[in-house]
This record gives sequence, C-alpha cells and structure tokens, in this order.
Amino acid sequence: MLRKATGVLSFDISDGASTAHWSVVLKKGDVLVSRAHDEADCVVTTDRPLFDGIVRGEKNAMAAVLRGEVAVEGDTELLVLFQRVSPGRPSLFAAEKSPSQGGRHE
Amino acid sequence: MSEGLVQILDGNTFVVSDSRGDIEASLTDPTGLFSFDTRFLSKWILTLDGERLNPLSVDDLQYFETRFFLVPGTGTVYVDAKLSVIRRRAVGDGFHEELTILNHDDKPVEITVRIEAASDFADLFEVKDALKKQGKYSNSVENGSLRLGYSRETYRRATSISSSAPAIFDETGLTLVAQIEPHGVWTTDLDVVTAVGVGGTYTTPKYHRKGRKARPNMESSLDKWLEDAPRVESDWEPLKSTYRRSLVDLAALRFAPPVMGGHSLPAAGLPWFMTMFGRDSIFTSLQSLPFTPELAATTLLALGDWQGSRLDDFRDEDPGRILHEMRYGEMTAFEERPHSPYYGAADATLLYVVLLDEYERWTGDRKLVRDLEQQARAALAWIDEYADLMGNGYVSYQRRNEETGLENQCWKDSWDSISYSNGEIPGFPRATCELQGYAYDAKVRGARLARLVWKDEAYADRLEHEAADLKRRFNRDFWVEDGEYFALALDKDGRQVDALSSNNGHLLWSGIVDKKKAKAVVANLMGPRLFTGWGIRTLAEGEGRFNPIGYHVGTVWPFDNSFIAWGLRRYGFKDEAAQIAAGILDAAECFEGRLPEAFGGYARSVTKYPVQYPTACSPQAWSTGAPLLLLRTMLGLEPLGEHLVIDPALPQGIGRLELLDIPGRWGRIDAFGRGRVHVGARGSRRQLGLAEELMPKQKRKNGKKARVTA
Repeated sequence: MLRKATGVLSFDISDGASTAHWSVVLKKGDVLVSRAHDEADCVVTTDRPLFDGIVRGEKNAMAAVLRGEVAVEGDTELLVLFQRVSPGRPSLFAAEKSPSQGGRHE
Repeated sequence: MSEGLVQILDGNTFVVSDSRGDIEASLTDPTGLFSFDTRFLSKWILTLDGERLNPLSVDDLQYFETRFFLVPGTGTVYVDAKLSVIRRRAVGDGFHEELTILNHDDKPVEITVRIEAASDFADLFEVKDALKKQGKYSNSVENGSLRLGYSRETYRRATSISSSAPAIFDETGLTLVAQIEPHGVWTTDLDVVTAVGVGGTYTTPKYHRKGRKARPNMESSLDKWLEDAPRVESDWEPLKSTYRRSLVDLAALRFAPPVMGGHSLPAAGLPWFMTMFGRDSIFTSLQSLPFTPELAATTLLALGDWQGSRLDDFRDEDPGRILHEMRYGEMTAFEERPHSPYYGAADATLLYVVLLDEYERWTGDRKLVRDLEQQARAALAWIDEYADLMGNGYVSYQRRNEETGLENQCWKDSWDSISYSNGEIPGFPRATCELQGYAYDAKVRGARLARLVWKDEAYADRLEHEAADLKRRFNRDFWVEDGEYFALALDKDGRQVDALSSNNGHLLWSGIVDKKKAKAVVANLMGPRLFTGWGIRTLAEGEGRFNPIGYHVGTVWPFDNSFIAWGLRRYGFKDEAAQIAAGILDAAECFEGRLPEAFGGYARSVTKYPVQYPTACSPQAWSTGAPLLLLRTMLGLEPLGEHLVIDPALPQGIGRLELLDIPGRWGRIDAFGRGRVHVGARGSRRQLGLAEELMPKQKRKNGKKARVTA
C-alpha cells in the first residue's frame, strides 16, 4: 500500500550549540509528541526558529524544504501530514466571513 | 518550442535541444535540461576542431531517448564528411550522453572535441516571465568533473558534468582529444547529473543514487506499461496508432511526486506543466480509468495528502480544498509564487469526489474509499462551508491572493473566458455552471459511497437531499429561456452570464440537467454555432468574444469534447456521442495520433485539416487521455455492480472495434462493437467525420457482443 497515514517523524532541532530531539507519532490524524528516540520513518533536521514557525503555522514546510532550510530523509509524505495537523496562520478571509454559514438557500 | 526536440523521463526531468543536440538557451528561450521546475543546463554545445556540427537525422528512439546523427561543417550544400558523429542521449537524473565519432578515412585522425557547458538555474516561472536571478553562480573544477553551482541563502542547486574518456575541464566546459584509427571509432560517456543542496550535502532528487551516472532504466518500464494496457483491434487502422500514441505519451507524462514513493500520476503537459495539477491529474485519471486504473489511485492518494487544512490567503487554501498546482522551483521556495502548493481551483475538490466514486465503480477497491473517507468528507464539506462565496447556494470563486493568484479558477482559466453574450466580462465572485454540475455529481456520488462503504445512511440522505435541491434550483436559475441552454455562469448579482458555451456538455456529464431540457441542450451543442465538424467549440460562434483561435473563446479542446461525449452517452444521445468521437479521432489522425491541447474552431467545411492553436502545449495529459475516453464512449462501457455493460455506438466508418483485456473489478473483460459496415463501399475511406457526410441516409446498425473472462 502506498499510504502511510501512520508513521514516526524524528525532529532534530538545532538551537545555537545544542540540538533538541523530538519524536512525533502520527496515527491516522492523532499526534503524539515525545522525547523518545523511536525508530523514525522520516528524519527532519532544522533550526529552532523555523521549526517553531512551522508548528505555529507561520512558515510553510514545503517552501522551507525547497529552500534547503529543512533537511528531510525518508518518507517526505509524513512531513506533509505533520504540517496539515499544525495550526494555520490568520486569514483575512476568516475575519471577514464566518466560513460555516452554509445552510439552505432559496 | 515547436522546433526543439523534447525528451523526458519519469515526469519532470526533460531536455529540449535543437536538432544537433545542442542547447543554447536564453532567459526567454525554453531549451535546456530541466528538473523540478529548474533549468540545470542552459548551454551544451559540441564542436570538433572548433567547428559546429550539421544534423543529418534524428531518431526519437523512446520518449526518454534520442539519437542525433551529425557531420562536421555547417552552411554548405555539399557534405563530404570524413567523420560522422552520433550523440545518443537518455534522460534520467539529468542526462547521459554517449558521444561517438566515426572516422571514415583511411588515415588516422586527431580531433579536439570541445563541449561548452553552463547553467542559469532559471526557475520555469522565470523562463516564462523573463525575470532576473537574485543568487550567485559558482563554477568549479573538482575531481575530474565540472560543477556548475548556484546559491541564494540556503537554496542550492548544482549540475555536475563528467566524462568516461580523459578530459580537461575548465569553468566553461571540457576538452577531449580523440585519436581515431583509419575506419575506427572513438567514444565517451558523458554524464550530466542534477543535484539539490541541503546544508553542506547534495542529493540527486529522484533516484537517490550515489555517483555520477545519469543513465535510466526506463525501457522495461515502458514495455510493461504497454503490455498491461488493454489492446485495441479495429478495421480502422488510425485508431490503433492513435491509441498506441496515447499510451506512450501517457507513460511519458507520468510523474512521481516526491512524496509518493515512486508511484506515479499524470502530470499536466510538456514542458511547462510537468507537475501535479489537481484538475488535470483528475480529468486524465478519469479518462484513463478503463485502461490504467493505478493512475487514479495515486492521484487520489497524493491529492488527499495535500488536501487543504487551513485558511491561507497567499495560497488560496481552505480546509478540505484540493490543490491546483505544485511547483518546486526557486520562486516557490522563496514564496514569490504561491505554488507550495497553490489551491486556487474551484473544481478540483468537487472532481476529487467524482473520481473516488468512479474509481470504486471500476475497480471495486473499497479499501481506498475507506482510507480516504476523511478526505472525501472534507471535500464535500468544502462545497457548502467555503465555496459558497455569495451565500446563494452555488459554488463560486474569487481569489484572495490578488497578486499572484488565479482569476479564473475553472478549467477555462484565461482572463476573457467567462463573458456575457454581448462580450462584457462579469466581476467576482463568479459561479460558473459546470461547477454546479460537478458539485451535484460529487454529492450524488458521495451519497453512494456513504451508503456502500462508510455505512452512514443519514449522511447519504443529507447529501442526496442537497443534490436534489441544487439540481432543482440550478435548472431554474441558470436556464436561458430564449436560447434553451444553460448560462455560462451567474455573476455576483445572481444575473445570468448568458453566453452559449461548451460547458453545457459538462453539465450533461454531471447529470444535473433535467431530462426534459436535455434535447434542447444537445441541439445547441450539435448545432452549427458550437459544432465545427471536428468538435465542439469552447464558445459559440456569434457570441461577443467568439474567436476561432481564441484560447477558451472559440477553439476546440479534445479533452472538453471527450467529456461532452461521455455526457451525451449519459443522456442516451449515442449517435451524437459517436459524431464527436469521429471528429476528434479524425483530428487525431491529422496530428499523427497526438492531439494538441486545442485546435482552431473553424468549420470543417472551411479547413480540411484542423488548425493547431499557435502556442498549444503538446503532449498534454488530458488531450492524450481524450482518445481513451472516446473509446469508452464509443463502446458504451459502464460498470454496473460487478459487471461491465457494453453498449456500442460506433461512428460511421468503423466497422469493427474491439477493446481486449479491460481491467476492473471483473478481472479482465473484452468488449466488441460492430458498426455501420460500409467500409470499402467507396474504396478505403479516409476520415470518419466525412463518412457522415458521404452517407447521410444510411441508418446505423450496431451489433453488440460481450465476453466475460473474469
């Protein structure tokens, strides 16, 4: 099967001289974060400001990968899925229009 | 572009050169070695003893391989060559070139072989728009190779060039000395390898292979691809060659996105559109379902992975929205373009659900439908929560990225494609009619999947109720009473954008058209304002903006016509569907089996040949898919439960059509069609559409026959 909705992402985040490690387990939309050194399907190496930006939804992970600010080894699909579960940045559209105004029309 | 030679491999690496095999690109000239939307080589010029070469012939061996036969000297009428040169080039992680020089003289020779090499590392967007670079170049000679480099902050790209025969490298190329015996042969293998840098290390993006070899192994993959596809047998020969051309081009247009672990989906077109496009990948997957269903599976998975999850104005992203276009070049990396990915399409999300359902109907792969339940529900939720911009119950679009976003977010995406009958252009938002059809179809199909696979009756009921309501309102609000067709769109005031267009055919395909209106719609589609004899124009003759060579305002699009033919079959108009198939397949024959994106909307009685649209992109995936879908509509293939219904209606002139080994939930099935057996009655007839005119009074008789080999 092509699909890996489940997998382990390993983040190595450099912050000045030190490197922090985080392990993120994605399981069909659920996210578990720990310091554990699980065997990873995807290893992501980046620095602290960018990582924080991606998690807060201020930075786009794909563009950062293309810029070479993030190194990805293994299953890139997992980084895509990780970004999907991170929050988004504020939208002008959201401020103007409440999106859930569906309802019936006549 | 049209004079260049194009080779590609595995989607998005390709080489465009002149007929000598040389590359001499300028900022606006689209020759070069391209990979991941970046030009990795913009100069590659071969000289022998300082002289350019003269082309004798070019062999396109495969879509990934070409051979150039050359002789020294240019500009003379009379060629008396003591030497000949063969460049055999295959595209892979860059390209591999086998350079061979043959000495035809009885004396030994010593020749200085020089290759000038350079790269501008232009983003495809820069090539299209002629923009200036912001980073730094660095060329270096290291370890017996030449490395062309480019960097901008952390962004790094490189091309390395090496040779199997001893060479002297400098920063602008390499020099070799060939000593060749009388009647001898000298050869060297040149490798040009692309690389992407992250931190201090470089990797070759596609095959992750170490070393400098750029040689692919695609031949076996193409053979297997052709072997796995159903076979076509027919007494009308051009159909067989068109079919084969389509399969080979579709193989060439396969693109394996970096996240899909080597599985491929159809990219949109060559050379500018070798990337993942929501709309194009979905339409092509729909067309090719009876032939290569695995393309649809990858398309659904890849687009599902990238489904929108947030509101992002720069990318026109909404939760649940399916992407429009993904790009990998420098401008995307630095967010000067929103394609990482960009979501500005109003139809892709609706068509995503349509494809998922159609895929299940053919393959019976319920596991995939279960795996993608969340994505399908999010897509269906997008219709009402995010796409109803005017709050009137219709899907409409208006970009939020006003600088680099797309104005028209439907398939007719050029600036003037949506107009009133008088030629005026409406404001935004715009609710084009086909979007309502797709939304209707998505809901109906979503309901089927909810009932069958997700086991959610209440949800299915709700979707069906909404679909019925949409259909009722649509047939009232979009119907142009005096012309008896559906308006192109509703504007922001709910007023009809009343031009007559080919979109009516897509409405038939979607099923949103009231049965009692279908006859009038078909009369418009097949009438002289829309039907040229080759196919149906995008916009009807007589409309304010009509222009037979206007991109979306009068040309004939083979892809558009294939879906219209499907729509005609859906409403029972078999003969009309066959007539469309006849015109488009005749056109395909004129283009040697490879249909362009679009051709001129001149009446067939005026132009004996379809006039190619000047800048049409070719091969293009959904044009390549058009003959496939037309095979389906001619044979009337329709999955029904575990079976495949076969209900042929062949154009006059095709006496016999067989499609053998159609894959699906039934295993493999053969479909046979018999037509109006008048082949040969007037000698060997040449074109299908003309048979219609030659024999207007003949009544069609169709035989049907099906064999199940499950």
